[in-house]
Amino acid sequence: MSVQDLILNLHRFWAGQGCYLAQTYDLEVGAGTMTPDTFFRVLDKRPWRVGYVQPSRRPDDGRYGENPNRVQKHFQYQVIMKPSPVDIQDVYVRSLRSLGVALEDHDLRFDEDNWESPTIGAWGVGWQVLLDGLEISQFTYFQQCGGIDLSPVPIEITYGLERLEMFLEQKDDIYDLDWSADVTYRDLRFREEKEFSEYNFSVASVVMLRQAFGACQKEAARLIEKDLLLPAYDMCLKCSHNFNLLDSRGAISVTERVKMISQIRALVNDIARRFTTAKEGA
Amino acid sequence: MEFLLELLTEELPASHIRSALDQLEAGFRKELGAARIEIVSLRTLATPRRLVVVGDFAAGQEDREEVVTGPPLAIAKGPDGALTPAGKGFARSQGVDEALLEAIRTPRGEYLGFKRKAKGTPAAEILKDIVPRVLAALSFPKMMRWAESPFRFSRPIHGLLCVLGGTPVETSFEGFRASDETVGHRIASPLAIRARSFAEYTAELERNFVVVDPEARKRTILTGIEDALAPLTAKVYPDPELLDDLTLNVEHPLVVFGGFPEAYLSLPLEVLSMAMRAGQKLFSVVRDKKQLPYFLGVADAVADGKGLIRKGNERVLRARLEDARFFWDQDRKVSLKERAAGLKNVVFQEKLGSYEDKASRLKKIVSYLCDKLKAAEVKADTIEAAGLCKADLLTEMVKEFSGLQGRMGGLYAKQEGLPAAVHQAIYEHYQPGSLEDASPASLSGAVLSIADKMDSIVGVLGVGIQVSGSSDPFGLRRNAHGVCKVILDRKLRFSFPLLLDKVLAVYGDRLTVERAAVKASCLEFFEGRLRFMLEKRGSRYDLVAAALGPGLDQIYDVLPRVEALDSLKSSPQFEPFILMAKRINNILKGVPAAKVNPDLFVEKEERDLYSTFAIIRDNAQPMIARGDYARAQGITFKIQPVLNTFFDKVLVMAEEKKVRQNRLGLLQSINKMLLGIADYSQVVVEGEKPAKPKAPR
Repeated sequence: MSVQDLILNLHRFWAGQGCYLAQTYDLEVGAGTMTPDTFFRVLDKRPWRVGYVQPSRRPDDGRYGENPNRVQKHFQYQVIMKPSPVDIQDVYVRSLRSLGVALEDHDLRFDEDNWESPTIGAWGVGWQVLLDGLEISQFTYFQQCGGIDLSPVPIEITYGLERLEMFLEQKDDIYDLDWSADVTYRDLRFREEKEFSEYNFSVASVVMLRQAFGACQKEAARLIEKDLLLPAYDMCLKCSHNFNLLDSRGAISVTERVKMISQIRALVNDIARRFTTAKEGA
Repeated sequence: MEFLLELLTEELPASHIRSALDQLEAGFRKELGAARIEIVSLRTLATPRRLVVVGDFAAGQEDREEVVTGPPLAIAKGPDGALTPAGKGFARSQGVDEALLEAIRTPRGEYLGFKRKAKGTPAAEILKDIVPRVLAALSFPKMMRWAESPFRFSRPIHGLLCVLGGTPVETSFEGFRASDETVGHRIASPLAIRARSFAEYTAELERNFVVVDPEARKRTILTGIEDALAPLTAKVYPDPELLDDLTLNVEHPLVVFGGFPEAYLSLPLEVLSMAMRAGQKLFSVVRDKKQLPYFLGVADAVADGKGLIRKGNERVLRARLEDARFFWDQDRKVSLKERAAGLKNVVFQEKLGSYEDKASRLKKIVSYLCDKLKAAEVKADTIEAAGLCKADLLTEMVKEFSGLQGRMGGLYAKQEGLPAAVHQAIYEHYQPGSLEDASPASLSGAVLSIADKMDSIVGVLGVGIQVSGSSDPFGLRRNAHGVCKVILDRKLRFSFPLLLDKVLAVYGDRLTVERAAVKASCLEFFEGRLRFMLEKRGSRYDLVAAALGPGLDQIYDVLPRVEALDSLKSSPQFEPFILMAKRINNILKGVPAAKVNPDLFVEKEERDLYSTFAIIRDNAQPMIARGDYARAQGITFKIQPVLNTFFDKVLVMAEEKKVRQNRLGLLQSINKMLLGIADYSQVVVEGEKPAKPKAPR
């Protein structure tokens, strides 16, 4: 099964669970959780089911294409179901079986791991899912997002597509994966990893990134005042990515780091608060 | 009557399971006790998905005699002894035959009343209320909500099996009606199971690949490990904590034996075992203290016939070891000294500055300590180690495995060819991490360990952060235990208050709390910690209090002081001596300091006492100075007969003021000498009411 087949399979499976299949969001994000299809949709009381592929950028994880497991951009398959279904663990297990994994021959474990993202004021309780010791998914009952207690509680399931595919293909090197029948992961991604590692660690302009961080932060605050919450949130995502780049350039001290994260969080929490009060008023 | 309860949940963290089982046992004991249901036996079991209670309870409350009282006898009966209308009314309202009424004596006087048999309530009826109450009271360090309910628990709940004497108890918890049903293993046999007895329950679960008893799972794991290692004549590196966690992580343990390429054996043992343990919870395999290229894991599975579980784990481990080797190679390209320059960007504590600031303070503190401990031979090396010891915080390896901090720095320092006293000190300076952990083996390590911890304690208390029962964000208790343990283990003698002065001086004006106040709170903090440690070693609380009486000038001395008390406490002289010391203490309460003038002695007995005291004091002083409290105490005991005669023959409170003050002055001198050994007034002797010990925290 290729990466492409894996994605098609997951799409079919989660569409069968009533999920709407969203398209990838068009901004750089660190995790599928950060896109509006999750962030805004978990805040209110309405039921919501969605599944989508989201590239996740973690500049610090760049390894110049030399590490068989780590990359500065990987692909997540993100599922949100709100409220969390009673049998969601069984549904998840069925999703693995639908990929052709004979679980009887393997060791599947729900291993305590509580997820949090201080940048968007979000945390949850759950597990990392291990298959023969390999972390293939994060499984989280979302408790808070944008600093707001979530009710109903959504379940978030994030599959690490490369990890899962390495398991399915029984391969040791990420670049040896088949994306489709005749395109490999190396064909698609190797050069990108090399160049972006160079960019993330050595070349990105610290001056430009700092300016961009400041400008996006200001713009977010201005847009919040105008009640343009979705554009304001986009600005926060840009702040977050610029921050990650500055971090991988080694340009941020520990104190500054805490300060910048809390600046973004303050904006995001403000957006979440306004978004929910506006909803309730309407 | 057999009771069986199973709460079926999603996978609970091991620490939550341990805490829940304690709470369940305590909860049922308390509630059943209060409800007068006799408990013949009660025990708890668990898997990651099941909290289980099994008990043997009485079928119901004992029937008991109940006394019902009515109006006072004076009102209920006339002078002739016949019932008044009030008395008759009471009988009527209770529906009781008048012939059964009798006088009931109470503390408030006599009343009309009667006795009746009250039928005990059946246990099934009582458990209806108790079960949901005990379950609802369970609390966890981190709790969650799910779906649409506001209810909070460790993880979502899926069912409640609750049977008493073969019949489901009519109860429910959070919307789950108690039944006789549960399910088997999530993957191997996720079928519904029925059970109405514990025997049936365990047998049915066993058939469906769930071993419900953690002890049985642990045995399976240990046997599996033994079987796997027997042909290798190798041993698993003992890790009881990991074993306990794994036992609670699986419903059906399967030991998986695997290997990794020998090339990775060039990595340090510390790195190998951390890479195996931290991510994948694997045991290391050793032979003659040398790591072998194998591992043992515990899967939650029935069998690994195709070897897929083993291969999968091998693949993941290889990737992790590859990462570790990358870090090990990368980190060694930059020397610790170069790396230490980056510590100025790493905050130790907001008000206390960076780790670079900390390192420069540590250099001064270890230099001082080496002088005081007359450790000139390691002074230069220890100062060098102090400057480098935090540099490994910036290595990739420590960023990945924070548990290796210190040890990594030591390993890198060794690779760089730094002297043994330097790399050992760096390696050991976080030790001991707990009271069970070993103190540094090297003197330089011991000195740096004390300096590092004292810097943290003085600094954190000095910016006004308090340690309370539940809050100790900088682990100051652990740090203080570490300091005391190193001092006691290595018998280090130096003035503790002067060390505090030195650390305070090194901080200069960085601290926000006034120096004298910081010093006082440090002394109080350490006194509390020493009290805790000594009581934990098994010394009597009053002897510990007595040994702490002379103060903390020498932390080490508290130990021989308490040991001296311990060894003499059963001698026949002990109790009279204590009583005498207490008598002196009582006489001197509120007495202003007075001087002794031998010319003012009137009686022979006071002259005798004075000369005996002078001899004893002159002998005891050097013993105290070198910390030989057992002998010092032995010799001071000899003052007792002379002092007894003194008290028999001499009136301390003499009429003449000068004589009186002189006698009080003599007793004060004696008291002062005793207080240098122990505060004997703290010792509790038989027949005395014990003073309430301070609760150790």
